[in-house]
Amino acid sequence: MTLRELIERHRVVIAAGSGGVGKTTVAASIALWGALGADSLGLEMLGDAERKIPLEGLAAEGVPPRGSLVALMLDQKGAWDALVERHAPPEARARILANPFYQHLSQTFAGSHEYMAIEQLCLLVESGRYDLIVVDTPPTRHALDFLEAPRRIGDFLDRKIIRWFLRPYFSAGWSALRAMNRTAGFLLRRLEQATGVSALAEISDFFSSMSELFENFQSRVDRAHEVLRGRETAFVLVSGPEEQVLGDADYLSTKMAELRMPLKGVVLNRVHREFRPRGGRGLGGDDVGPEDAERVAQVVARAVGGSGREARELAENFIAYQALARGESLRIEQFRVGLPRGVPVVQVPNFARDIHDLASLAAMHAYLFGTARAAA
Amino acid sequence: MPPSLLQRRLHFVVGKGGVGKTTIAAALALLLVRRGRRTLAVEMDAVGRLPTLLGGRGVGYVPTEVAPGLHVLGLDGRAALEEYLGLIIPVKRLLATVFSSKLYQYFVAAAPGLKELMTVGKIWYEATREEAGRPCWDAIVVDAPATGHSLQYLRMPQAAREAFGAGLVQREATKITGLLRDRQTTAVHIVTLAEETPVTETLETRTQLVEALGLPLGFVIANRVHRRRFSPAVLERLHAATASPAAERALLACVAERATEESGWASINEAHLGRLRAGIGSAPLVELPFLFVEEFDRSCVEQLARLLEAGVAADSHGAARGRARGSS
Repeated sequence: MTLRELIERHRVVIAAGSGGVGKTTVAASIALWGALGADSLGLEMLGDAERKIPLEGLAAEGVPPRGSLVALMLDQKGAWDALVERHAPPEARARILANPFYQHLSQTFAGSHEYMAIEQLCLLVESGRYDLIVVDTPPTRHALDFLEAPRRIGDFLDRKIIRWFLRPYFSAGWSALRAMNRTAGFLLRRLEQATGVSALAEISDFFSSMSELFENFQSRVDRAHEVLRGRETAFVLVSGPEEQVLGDADYLSTKMAELRMPLKGVVLNRVHREFRPRGGRGLGGDDVGPEDAERVAQVVARAVGGSGREARELAENFIAYQALARGESLRIEQFRVGLPRGVPVVQVPNFARDIHDLASLAAMHAYLFGTARAAA
Repeated sequence: MPPSLLQRRLHFVVGKGGVGKTTIAAALALLLVRRGRRTLAVEMDAVGRLPTLLGGRGVGYVPTEVAPGLHVLGLDGRAALEEYLGLIIPVKRLLATVFSSKLYQYFVAAAPGLKELMTVGKIWYEATREEAGRPCWDAIVVDAPATGHSLQYLRMPQAAREAFGAGLVQREATKITGLLRDRQTTAVHIVTLAEETPVTETLETRTQLVEALGLPLGFVIANRVHRRRFSPAVLERLHAATASPAAERALLACVAERATEESGWASINEAHLGRLRAGIGSAPLVELPFLFVEEFDRSCVEQLARLLEAGVAADSHGAARGRARGSS
């Protein structure tokens, strides 16, 4: 399968990968590709504004859009608050929003941002408003927080545990707890004294205010898993060719398989291309490396004339890039061996420009999909 | 006047993901060791690469010597918190039960920032630890997590001081904040690339560090800078060289392509270095060149340590700002 077929056969495309690899750019380019053929939604994990991206400018460049493109930034804090608004009894809302445990949970609990993003994603998928939804995941080091979010939050908000917090002796205070278990009571009180937080009372208060919401929480977590693991969803791994980045990618790919969210496509971004004269005898067969620097300099000198210095610098630069490219292609080859069979892998070259307009996003299509949309 | 940046004891290295933060932290640690300082390199990411880059393997929660004068330590918030609680509740058998209970996990989740505070607290402990009447470490280099997360850590002591009621935690937090803000001791270095988004984020981070948190800013390090420029006239001549034999023509086209690529990056880098320089005030800017290597290994870290030292020296002489020109 090609990446192009992959995108055509899935409604939800989730770009995953470590920070600094150009994940956002690749996600945006895929979303634009979708929009040029149908209605597409590019999803970011920050903010909350839904914004229509004007595509008219592209028509002028010979790429008439058939669909539309909408960018939406998901605001997780806002999503938590919305959840409270939807499910908590009106008289409890203010109390919940001011509860320190709630604030902590909604702001910093690992995976809770990601979980809320997934909840919103589920709603969008169910709405059926878009033919293609492209999600740019947050730049977590292994992007695993995102994939594990439903399980983790499901664990955390385990009904059995929550019920325990809802037992009267928790809100009744420490004396009751101590009566239940002297040791536990003693230790927990020491913890609270040492840290200066009255954590358990807050947790208890939070769960009793939110009990209705958590009643059906597990079914929501299951629903989130369904979307992530569904046949309509494709995870596309974005990586760079550097050793450490590929190592992260390898780890991520293994973990995803374990989570039963296998990756279905790989984009290797910012790759340097190696010069390999096919069967060329001129420069020592099909590998040109540092040992050829002198000969390259001679060839260049003959071509450009002028001082030898210029030619030498050009040759040095070429050889430097050649070394870089050779290392990259060796690592990429190795990386591909570890990938599941039949996963399409595409390479996007390292453009010497900042990419932040539609035209340059469209220029990536030739590498991602083997063709520009205009020609499709 | 505070001591020069390299003389300080506590170095935090922060930066956006993917800019080479860990590599620079490793290079800085090597540089300090070479200057005869007893150095501790701290990795805050459980699966971070810093120990490996410095020649260690499987580094844990106790400082391990990986080279003469160089120790590494892997920090983990949970372990730090448990250690701290162990000091308060000295009943080991009971503690084991507490730590394994689900209740404790809720407690940690519910006490905002406690884990982060204890992590920074552990660094504080190492920075102030003494042996035989003198500081245990001459220098500590912390490879902090990616920027957003780093700020969360560095903000924590201050937030804790304000948020926690009077008590042990508040007292600890006050001490830690004092050390972090001390210009005699601490420097926070920002690593970046000379490209659009990283520079924008660096300028935001700088504002946060300096204005909101009152922390002493160290070097701003622009990593992987491209410098070679080729004149359009030369590239023109390369492209026009059609008289060459066919095999050479392909090669020449490729030589021209790489020259264009390098020139392109050099001008992008130069433009964003300008933005960076204008935005960082009096902070010293050190530029490190892009290294063209097949495989990035320890010798590259050593090379960067030398270039970093040269860049720092150039800056302290007030000459061309931190221009670390290196062979590549």
